[in-house]
Amino acid sequence: MVVELESILRPMLNGLQSGFRLFLIASGLTIVLGILDVLNLAHGELYAVGAYVSTTVLGYVLGLFAAPAAGAGLGIQVAFVLAMVLAMLVAAAVLIPLGAVVEAVFLRRIYERNEVYQLVLTFALLLVLNDLLLFGWGPTKVQVEAVASVANGFPVVETLLGFQYPTYQLLYIVVGAVVAAGLFYFFDRTKTGRIIRATAINREMATAIGVDTDRTFTLVFALGAFFAGFAGALYMPQAGAQLGMGASALVLSFVVIVIGGVGSLKGAFVAAIAVGLTTNMLSATPTILDLSNTGIPWNSLVTAAPYMLMIVVLLVRPEGLYGTWGETS
Amino acid sequence: VSGSTSRGRAVRIGAAVGGVVVLLAVPDLVRLSDLLGLRPFAHGLTIGIAAVGLNILLRHTELVSFGHAAFFGAGGYTTAIVSTYLGVDSFFLMLVLGVLIATVLAMVIGALSLRHTGLYFSLLTLAFGMLLFALVQGNDSFFNGTDGLFVRPGGGVTRPDLLGISLDPVAYDAVTFYVAVGVAVVGLLVMYRIVRSPFGNALDAIGQDRTRARFIGLPVKRYVWGAFVISGVYCGAAGALWGLYSQSVDPATTLYFLVSGDILYSAILGGFGTLVGPLVGGVVFFVFRDLAVITEYDSAVMGTLLIALVYFFPRGIVGSLKDLVARGVGTDPPEPPEPTEGAEAAEAAEGP
Repeated sequence: MVVELESILRPMLNGLQSGFRLFLIASGLTIVLGILDVLNLAHGELYAVGAYVSTTVLGYVLGLFAAPAAGAGLGIQVAFVLAMVLAMLVAAAVLIPLGAVVEAVFLRRIYERNEVYQLVLTFALLLVLNDLLLFGWGPTKVQVEAVASVANGFPVVETLLGFQYPTYQLLYIVVGAVVAAGLFYFFDRTKTGRIIRATAINREMATAIGVDTDRTFTLVFALGAFFAGFAGALYMPQAGAQLGMGASALVLSFVVIVIGGVGSLKGAFVAAIAVGLTTNMLSATPTILDLSNTGIPWNSLVTAAPYMLMIVVLLVRPEGLYGTWGETS
Repeated sequence: VSGSTSRGRAVRIGAAVGGVVVLLAVPDLVRLSDLLGLRPFAHGLTIGIAAVGLNILLRHTELVSFGHAAFFGAGGYTTAIVSTYLGVDSFFLMLVLGVLIATVLAMVIGALSLRHTGLYFSLLTLAFGMLLFALVQGNDSFFNGTDGLFVRPGGGVTRPDLLGISLDPVAYDAVTFYVAVGVAVVGLLVMYRIVRSPFGNALDAIGQDRTRARFIGLPVKRYVWGAFVISGVYCGAAGALWGLYSQSVDPATTLYFLVSGDILYSAILGGFGTLVGPLVGGVVFFVFRDLAVITEYDSAVMGTLLIALVYFFPRGIVGSLKDLVARGVGTDPPEPPEPTEGAEAAEAAEGP
């Protein structure tokens, strides 16, 4: 049996992409949980908001240009890149204030109360945000593919490795890696990042040395909202934006933050890549090893795999791969 | 027994009898108008029964489960599987089998999930629920994947038999609803006995301080596991009843984590510090949502209701009504604890 390179590389690249996407979403969730001690059920909707906002921005900007003909000039390509950057900026302009308002107006009032109310409130926000998206963009899936197809016009993988693979997905991996590196740099090296970490490790001590925890909390929540939205905006040209995308992103983020260790950014990164690769490699296994007719329920296994991983980690090593970030787990 | 307390009890008994009468009248009342069908009431009633079960964990042991859809779904899917594949056509046999399977599942998941408390318990229950959801949804040959299964004996077109009698569709719906009302009443009475038993008091002690409870010699793990299994029994019965009523089950409406959310939020909406609150919450939640569908933005309406709950009536519908009645009857301070209703009165005095 000859296993072709493509049949292994393709799911691997897909897995990396979904890993970076999961990391971008879960990073915010895990930081908010680690620092604010709030499990934000509305986090997935912030991811969806990013995707929906980018459809409008891209749709509007690209409407100014003609659809790119094959072999169009470099000017058009550059315009498309700029449109994508603009979409990210607008997503940030929407999500950072949205996150700040959610924290400052809604969440701040219930930190001291029974944790059950956090679950009720963030779930209520999930419902409201979901319907705001329905109100704004309607019930059917929306997608602006143009950006992805322009990127795919440069067949990088085909040139290098000899099989077709969407260049946009490679681009996603690269951008994801850059943003992930930026996040780690922010928390390790910058003053604000260190203040946030200090707050996570010991809230009282941070207050004592003059950290304004209210502002830190708002900042953290807004940051988390932005990265979720960023992941959604970046994913939209490839997969579109639809209602319900938030809920499935949310549960997978739970898996990631549990495996990595609640509050741990590094853990979230490793876990996200691991979950992405596991599910994609598993779903490709029947093809690679020619096992599709063995009666093994592959579909079930693939969708169930992340939850099995989560259960094993919770039972065997509940602190996750990298433990908690501070004492506020 | 003071006069005001006996008046309080009269109010309570009156409300209970009134509630049952109203529920029994629902199948006839909904025929008066096109606004509402029986379905949202039946759905709310079954989710409410599940919420009553969930509440033994939430109220007494202070554990928040986000995975009880697993047992609701297990009950529902059992009715579908035994009718479709084994040709079972007896309504009550399906109900009993649904409860049985859900109970076994609750025994296993409970034993594993209860190794943690707090957030980790919630996440473990969520993970088990989602695992079950993924396994069922991904399997087309046996569970029929996303579309789910019908609850039709032998995969035919007939409805389950009630004590050997086959009913026409309208009668079947109504009778199933009455059975659900019966199960709800029995479930509440049983729960009333449970939470007032020494076992129930022990659960309260465990919820307040586990370490202390262990020190005074309570078998903490075994008791909490018992409570978990009891909640699984209620959810299983609820899921089986919903499968029997709707005559179909699918993963998204029985096993998905949002169903666990429906059960949890019904309990909180109705008032998780009370016995009947979760049942009331379930019915209100689903009927309200069904009415809100007219606006096309039912999620936003429900979201707003829940936000209002958090900020304006955190003790839920029944909890807040109790406060009002207590004030109206003039028990000031609120009812003194007495043997039969000690727990509730004490909580009324303390607040959530």
